[in-house]
Amino acid sequence: MRRVAVIGVGVTRFGKHDLTSAELFAQAARDAIIDADISPSAIQALYYGNVTGGEGEHQLHLGPLAATLLGLPTIPTTRFENACATSHAAFRHAVTEIASGSSDVVMVGGGERVLNVPTEAATEYFAYCSDASFEQPAGLTFPGVFALIARAHMDKYGTTEEQMAHVAVKNHRHGALNPKAQFQNEITLETVLKSAYVADPLKLFDCCPFTDGGAAIILAGEEVVRARKRAVWVLGTQAATDTMFMHEKRDLSRVPATERAAAGAYRQAGLGPADVDVVELHDCFTIAEIVATEGLGFFEPGTGGFAAEKGWTSLGGKLPVNPSGGLKAKGHPIGATGAAQIAEIATQLRREAGPRQADGASIGLVHTLGGNAATVLVSLFGRD
Amino acid sequence: MTERVITLKNFFEEARAGRLTAIKCGHCGELAIPPKEFCPGCQQRAWSAVPLSGMGTVVSFTIIRVPPRGAPAPAPYAVAVVKLDEGVSLLGRVVDIPFEALKAGLPVRFRPLVAEHQTGIGFGPA
Repeated sequence: MRRVAVIGVGVTRFGKHDLTSAELFAQAARDAIIDADISPSAIQALYYGNVTGGEGEHQLHLGPLAATLLGLPTIPTTRFENACATSHAAFRHAVTEIASGSSDVVMVGGGERVLNVPTEAATEYFAYCSDASFEQPAGLTFPGVFALIARAHMDKYGTTEEQMAHVAVKNHRHGALNPKAQFQNEITLETVLKSAYVADPLKLFDCCPFTDGGAAIILAGEEVVRARKRAVWVLGTQAATDTMFMHEKRDLSRVPATERAAAGAYRQAGLGPADVDVVELHDCFTIAEIVATEGLGFFEPGTGGFAAEKGWTSLGGKLPVNPSGGLKAKGHPIGATGAAQIAEIATQLRREAGPRQADGASIGLVHTLGGNAATVLVSLFGRD
Repeated sequence: MTERVITLKNFFEEARAGRLTAIKCGHCGELAIPPKEFCPGCQQRAWSAVPLSGMGTVVSFTIIRVPPRGAPAPAPYAVAVVKLDEGVSLLGRVVDIPFEALKAGLPVRFRPLVAEHQTGIGFGPA
């Protein structure tokens, strides 16, 4: 199959906006087109991600709207929804479209707006990504899902609330270096540990925020990549699914979909965890980062909390994780998150990340988790 | 034979009356809640309904302090994953157990949480 490259990226500032989700995407898409230095007319398709448009903006049929606001109203477009993994799922399908030869240049992106509704409404919409027969009637929230995972990890391995707090402190430290992050302030362990419980054992500062934002990337097949020096190649991209029911997960301290998607992506790329130099992974909650660093094979099961405590995942550490600030500090506009993570890794591999640049970044990994850990995508990237 | 042994609607009607039901694979013995067309373990389609005792132990739990709109109870409230004695698990809201008493391994008993239009899965003291 053809090699596929990321040739342009664009991300809005994350935080509160007075723009619709499709407008946010269109701004990011404009920046991606400028970054790629191509004519907008070169784009042959749009793979678009959004999760809560129907609920929060009373807007469906979002693909054509996004393309229309971008100024490309006639390109074929499809809207993807895979909970928080939405635009990473869109990315995988766009890669396949180019690899198959169906298109040469495809845009992938997403937009999300949730800060226009009250927190309890946003909490309700996000909970729609868990199951409606058992979990929603029980009042389970997304912090609740990861609290169940956190409790199981603490019981099995002795992971502590302080180790989880280290993840939040590190990601805020990175976010302070990212001018587009929602939170650009450093925090202390004490701030995290003294914050109020949202879903025990997770506290407010263990949780990523609600965020408005957009992100876009442009993909191209090898023969049409002009600026080869800036091209970031897709080395592997895999998706995995696990049961939609929390009660059917056989070991709540693990995310099997992460382990399977990672195994597939490593195999496709001919690489292993030790080859990875920089990572953007799905830290919707601090425990999610700990479990992901284990599932991706960077640390043994049960030792992710220790690695966070030791600073191994910090910029300047053994393996910088979430140099962007991650979902925790950069923010989490759920339909745009996967594309934003890929944009960050492309920026890192081009060595254009400025003060948050990871040293020696040649191979990068992106991990995006959707919903109650039922969807995971893992992709690997590299330079020529 | 294309009809389901039990549907989600039947499952919750039974639960509303205080009876928990699982489906059991006649080929590999796997128990499951809720029903599915094929056994995820062996891909066979040989289900039969089996009654459950409703007794189990807590696997993991949380206390929800920031509730969604339309939450089933005023926050804070507890939610737990419970492994039932027969080996199949179920998630539900915990009632009539003090938060401090919650821990992995705590014995609990199923009880239906009946609201006007919906039956929720609940667990109370064993």
